[in-house]
Amino acid sequence: MKPATWFKPFETIDRGSRITILTIWIVMVGGFWVLASTGSKHLFPTPGQVCEGFISLFNEGLVVHIASSLALCFKATFFSLLISLLIAYASPLPFLKPLAVAMSRIRYLPLTGITFYLAILVSDARTMQVSVLMIFMSLYFITSLLAMLKDIPVEEIDHARSLKCSRWEVLWEVVIKGRIDYVIDMLRQNLAITWMMLVTVESILVAAGGLGVLIKNSDKFMNHGRIVALQLVILAVGLLLDAGLNALRKGFFRYSTF
Amino acid sequence: MTAYEQKHTLLHVDNLSVVYDGKTIIKNISFEEKDTVVPGREQGQIIAFLGRSGRGKSTLFRTLTGLEAPTTGRVLIPDYSKTVHDGQQPAKMVEEGDVGFVNQKYTLFRHKTVEQALAFALRRSPLSATEKAEKINQYLADWGLEKVKMQYPNELSGGQRQRTAILEQLLNSGHYMVLDEPFSGLDIGNIDNVRKAFQLINRSSELSTVIFSTHDIELAVELADSIYIIGYPRENGSPGTSGTIIRHFDLKKMGLAWSEKLNSDHYDCIKEIRDIMLSS
Repeated sequence: MKPATWFKPFETIDRGSRITILTIWIVMVGGFWVLASTGSKHLFPTPGQVCEGFISLFNEGLVVHIASSLALCFKATFFSLLISLLIAYASPLPFLKPLAVAMSRIRYLPLTGITFYLAILVSDARTMQVSVLMIFMSLYFITSLLAMLKDIPVEEIDHARSLKCSRWEVLWEVVIKGRIDYVIDMLRQNLAITWMMLVTVESILVAAGGLGVLIKNSDKFMNHGRIVALQLVILAVGLLLDAGLNALRKGFFRYSTF
Repeated sequence: MTAYEQKHTLLHVDNLSVVYDGKTIIKNISFEEKDTVVPGREQGQIIAFLGRSGRGKSTLFRTLTGLEAPTTGRVLIPDYSKTVHDGQQPAKMVEEGDVGFVNQKYTLFRHKTVEQALAFALRRSPLSATEKAEKINQYLADWGLEKVKMQYPNELSGGQRQRTAILEQLLNSGHYMVLDEPFSGLDIGNIDNVRKAFQLINRSSELSTVIFSTHDIELAVELADSIYIIGYPRENGSPGTSGTIIRHFDLKKMGLAWSEKLNSDHYDCIKEIRDIMLSS
């Protein structure tokens, strides 16, 4: 273990060094938290306050709220996946390509513009929540899927064609079947966007509950311990989803080594 | 010199030209290859295309395999689904899938195991499911792929990958196989693997026709019985900008084909080819 090499660009370090570096960082973050939570004008709540916040949240039905958030997230993800895949998989058709490209460009539109029209079209608040998440996730998802399609080497298309595949078979074998693992990985990356937007979207319908509602209520009463506890819960659930999808991809698709 | 006889035409390329966005890549390419029969042994044809980079070999190959439509001209192969008429086998224009195509990366379906890839290649075959399975198992054994039949391309060695890619095309297209720079970037062991694969294809049927491109002139002279050189012909004293066939070496006629070892005549031929390539 040579600490001098830790500050050399592109240096390969051993397992022991990696564990040491990680431990140092955890200690530094923990230390910063303790320091930043002491004194009269502290920035963060103390670890004890966060722990208390977590216990009070648990007693108020944290698990039910997590389930509500996950249900909203999965519902939006399901519809988003369906729409995005349909649009992206149709993009190899020259007539439909402009539609997919336009959908991808729309991601630069501000949130308020889209929610304004959604509010006119949708009367039910839960549908509104799902629609907002679905639309925003779809726009980013389509962008990622289009990039994936663009990166498919022409040799793979030619290979399928040389095996007497019709153009539809090429689409099925090379793009749809041949890239399912990529879709799961994109879903994993785009789910982070949905999860991040959850707090904002859940505030549309307080009665439905969810982690967003909990954080909003805690914010109202300036309960910092609860707010940080909730942030950590949201982060942990997000990381679990991420790890779950990654494990799913690697478990089901042995050839998926990226 | 090995005695041989030439029978019906296996490949007829007539006045082929390909133009992309106003730029002529290849032009006026015409050649014909016939079924060569050597008494006492079953063997197919091996045709090599040589030429410097950018002379249009890959474009020609894409056209020969039906992956690229020619701007002018046509590629004809025998239509064995029709009966012989007036002693002539009817011909057909080449279509996608009629001619197997292996690129230098030995591309395979990333989501199919070796066995699944071979089964896919045979999906349109009129054979029964049992016959297909038997055929696949036989080929897997002959080509040394039995132990890796459940592996995906990313789990194969370079040599196994090459054999799978060639075999897949062989099962799908039948007698014709085009390989674009199959020896490019290979180590000595893998070059030997591909060489053995050529022999396996060549001996599988007298109609087997392997067409390949390479930058290795010696290897081309060693393996092929017919060599075409693609280059830029001189136009008004200066080199042109469109590739075409500038020379054909029929190694059968020259007595240089099917030799166990290269001799001085082969090396003279290699030197001549090198000089032609350098000036084109």
